[in-house]
Amino acid sequence: MMTRKSRRYLKNALIYICLFLVAILTLFPLIWGISASLRDDSELFGYIMPFSVHTLIPVEFTFQAYIDLFTKYGFFTPVKNTVLVTGISIIFGCIVNSVAAFAFAVFDFKFKKPLFALVLLSFMIPFEAIALPLYKVVDNMHMVDTYRGMILPSIASGLVLFLFVQFFRDIPPDLLDAARVDGAGIGRIYMSILLPLSKPIFITAALMIFMDQWNSYLWPLLIARSKGIRTVQIALTAFSTEHKTAWSALYAGSMFSALIPLVLFLPLQKYFVQGITSSGVKG
Amino acid sequence: MLHLSKKMRFLPYVLILPAFLLIFIFKLYPIITTLLESVVIDSEFSLEAYIDLSEDSSFWNSLWITIKINLVMIPLQVLIAFLVALLVNSTIKGVGIFRTIFYLPVTISLTIACLVWNIMLNPNSGVVNSILNLAGIPSQDFFISKSQALWCIVLVATWKGVGYWMMFILAGLKNIDVAIYESAKIDGAGWWKMVTRITVPLLKKVLLFVFVANTTANILLFVPMQVITGGGPQESTNVLMFEAYQSAFKYGDRPRSSAIVVILLVLIVLICLFQALLLNEKEEGKKK
Repeated sequence: MMTRKSRRYLKNALIYICLFLVAILTLFPLIWGISASLRDDSELFGYIMPFSVHTLIPVEFTFQAYIDLFTKYGFFTPVKNTVLVTGISIIFGCIVNSVAAFAFAVFDFKFKKPLFALVLLSFMIPFEAIALPLYKVVDNMHMVDTYRGMILPSIASGLVLFLFVQFFRDIPPDLLDAARVDGAGIGRIYMSILLPLSKPIFITAALMIFMDQWNSYLWPLLIARSKGIRTVQIALTAFSTEHKTAWSALYAGSMFSALIPLVLFLPLQKYFVQGITSSGVKG
Repeated sequence: MLHLSKKMRFLPYVLILPAFLLIFIFKLYPIITTLLESVVIDSEFSLEAYIDLSEDSSFWNSLWITIKINLVMIPLQVLIAFLVALLVNSTIKGVGIFRTIFYLPVTISLTIACLVWNIMLNPNSGVVNSILNLAGIPSQDFFISKSQALWCIVLVATWKGVGYWMMFILAGLKNIDVAIYESAKIDGAGWWKMVTRITVPLLKKVLLFVFVANTTANILLFVPMQVITGGGPQESTNVLMFEAYQSAFKYGDRPRSSAIVVILLVLIVLICLFQALLLNEKEEGKKK
């Protein structure tokens, strides 16, 4: 008979083995991509087959691919476009959705319930489902190939609005009432009471909008027609046809665009996970 | 709730106006236009687009591929997400690092995932074949094989998706009272029994949500087809969403594209109704 202690060791060892296996599967494409971005094209293909240490670890490390990416392959423009589109979306997304959520959370008004139901309905419909018809709408507004066309459709988000409402509802009404009695206007209440209390939900919202915009593909594919306006994701998918043999640079671009959300995600993980899961568990 | 004086009654409407204007123009109005576009041809009501579709074998092929990929991918993703969530829910040392690692693909775009996996799965110079060879398995064709391409897409989408769905399941697991497991342990229940008799029943609501949300998201899967396969080889990965995109942007056939989008929307609504129905049933069961 196994002792209790040795059984526990065995169980823990099993869990660790499983965790490691899943971790390797998860990390492998990233490790591979990073390693490939840090080496020469010739070296990259020279060591793939047969499999050896140098399949994964460069013989000679070089940042040349990253330098080429920005100097030779004009990667600066798509990065600038993506930062612009993402940044403006975050600012306006936070303002528009939080102000509307403020109204839903602290006031009673006619048609409140059906209007809120409309919000919920709008986030049950995945964006991809309306992207193709949306193109025509935006085309009729003459916003194809403009920043406005890329940004405006994504500002009002049922999901972000819903998360704001959830959060604002938990703020003690006494706090708002007291401010009211002291003569503070609605604008003051929003700015000086609600905002400081709501930092976590603003971080969550900003992070969700960031991930959405930074990583979006279908919408910029439809709307950003010219080279000068396209985003990182589009530039990368076009990369292999435009620069046929620049594999290391393609990897460098992919890793660059993957690592930026990752770097933001790591310290703010808590906010992101809470935001996402509360939408599912409560909704 | 804050009270408003009569003069201020309009205020909430002003506050929600920008959001609603945007939601209406960019979310609801496109749905209306696509419905109209699919039934109004040359400014006359006509079901031609739908009739054409019903006689079009490539539409039926796309519908079948859409159903086939989801039938395999959704249960697979939910199962893996559930198992990994169980692993990560243990109180073992260093588990937080693993949890973070498993979340990483969530932050990476599907586009990047497709680009990198596509090169890794290259039949001639891909690292995956190199590893397979190392294990004594001959090189595979992956994305250029008619019989493998769809399942390679499942692989990529699952790699990218599991961490996301795991978040919900893990949040559900955290809500389960540990005391239940402890009393079950005292009664001599093993691991398998505890998972099937306690965890799964208590997680039913979360699992159902994940199933439905995952389905509504993946029924519209588009990026791998656009970035990697182009719907091929031989139409084997030509899902409905890709077919709708091609109809609108490659062949300029908007009525056809709209009709396909409407069919996709109907599918999504049906899936959501199905979820609501199941949830209601359970709540009524509880009341009894």
